[in-house]
Amino acid sequence: MSLQDRVIRTIEKNLEGKERTTITPATDLRHDLGVDSFAMLIIINALEDEFSITIAEKDFIGIAHVADIVARLQQHYPDLKEP
Amino acid sequence: MAREPFYTGLVVDKSLTQKYDFNPYYAHIESSLGDPIIIDGTAFINLAANNYLGLAADPRVARAIALAAGRYGASMCGTPIATGSMAILTRLEQRLATFAGVEAGIIFPSAYQANGAIFLSLAGPEDLIIIDHYAHASLIQGVRLAGCKIRPFLHNNMDHLRKVLSKTEMYRRVFVVTESVFSTEGSLAPCDEIIRLCTQFNAVPVIDDSHGIGVLGRSGRGVLEEKNVVNFEGIYTASLGKALANAGGFVGGRKAFIEYLKYSCPAFIYSTALPPPVLAGVEAVLDIIDAEFPALSEKMWRYKRMISQGLVASGFNVTDGSAPITSIMVRDLDDCARLAKMIHEANILVTPFVPPSVPVHENKIRLIAGANLSEGTVGRVLDVFQSIGRRMTAV
Repeated sequence: MSLQDRVIRTIEKNLEGKERTTITPATDLRHDLGVDSFAMLIIINALEDEFSITIAEKDFIGIAHVADIVARLQQHYPDLKEP
Repeated sequence: MAREPFYTGLVVDKSLTQKYDFNPYYAHIESSLGDPIIIDGTAFINLAANNYLGLAADPRVARAIALAAGRYGASMCGTPIATGSMAILTRLEQRLATFAGVEAGIIFPSAYQANGAIFLSLAGPEDLIIIDHYAHASLIQGVRLAGCKIRPFLHNNMDHLRKVLSKTEMYRRVFVVTESVFSTEGSLAPCDEIIRLCTQFNAVPVIDDSHGIGVLGRSGRGVLEEKNVVNFEGIYTASLGKALANAGGFVGGRKAFIEYLKYSCPAFIYSTALPPPVLAGVEAVLDIIDAEFPALSEKMWRYKRMISQGLVASGFNVTDGSAPITSIMVRDLDDCARLAKMIHEANILVTPFVPPSVPVHENKIRLIAGANLSEGTVGRVLDVFQSIGRRMTAV
């Protein structure tokens, strides 16, 4: 599974609600998924578990789209390996 | 610094209220919370206030307040620690503690202030606060001020909470923060399960029972009675301005914790105590609850069922919460504004919740029918919503 797919799967598993559009790299976290600051924290914590890393919250400031999360992970954690 | 740019920079986005020529907030109420209430000279049915038991305008409560004003005057003109704690204050603190099912308690000027202040005295950088994603703004502000690690958990999701709790060995203190009743949707937290998990993982549960005190439990004593919790080892907070129909915020727990707060919590130490007449008002409400809760509660829940069922029958999508709160869910913000305006034009006061109070696409219009309303009033409400439902379907 690619890094992007793992990020999307992690987000899907860590949001409330049942009715939701399909998550893609272009999905807007706030406007499409209703992600607020606490939901973002939940996602960051879940990514830490998923990739066994410790994320500095400041590295994830200004995230808007799912693709931004993938890019930040690649930028700050270049050693992340595809399983 | 030029002052003008500062003031012109203080902008409130009122585009939605301008678009519909309607602002539902800060309604200008000219009466008590009776039935009806008067807004700008017009009679309204009040489904906005958290006046669950309908006691805010009860003449017995008003009389107790007036008597206390005559006996004690208006104010303590100082903080209890510095200028003295009136007997009526300490008496009510202990009575509320016994009522709610905790060992001891203190009263803050508001529940928002209590929730916003206690964590600063209890947690620091080496601690962790785990908090329900949908917790009230006062709790969120409070935990943020503490400067500790924060880990939200998915709303009422005990599997997620357990997962978060299982990775907390590195922290000095761990708190789990939730509300008993989530006020925009009326969902109940599984507080018994949360308390059990806290015991298992040595965490301190913090429960805000603002919408539960006077509402939940066999005799209206709140969430601890509802869940049969005895010897509560956590922190309990509650508003005195909802079912208890006055003002103030109660914080309860073990005696050692309360004693610690009295000498360590700046928001308590440096705040003027609640006016004695307000304390007398709370006492009067507790007297009424002790004597009349079954009858008041029966009306409150009957009206809740009538409104929920009536709204569904009229085509509205409502939350399926287990509290005496019914919220209409409206995904689109414009639809929410239009619906709120139609309700207001029918002379019914309700509370619309839009972001950031609720997540994007989860706009809600909340209705709370107090026990002071008559069945005829609730019937008129249902007639109005039937008419609005037809108009919305036609559109």
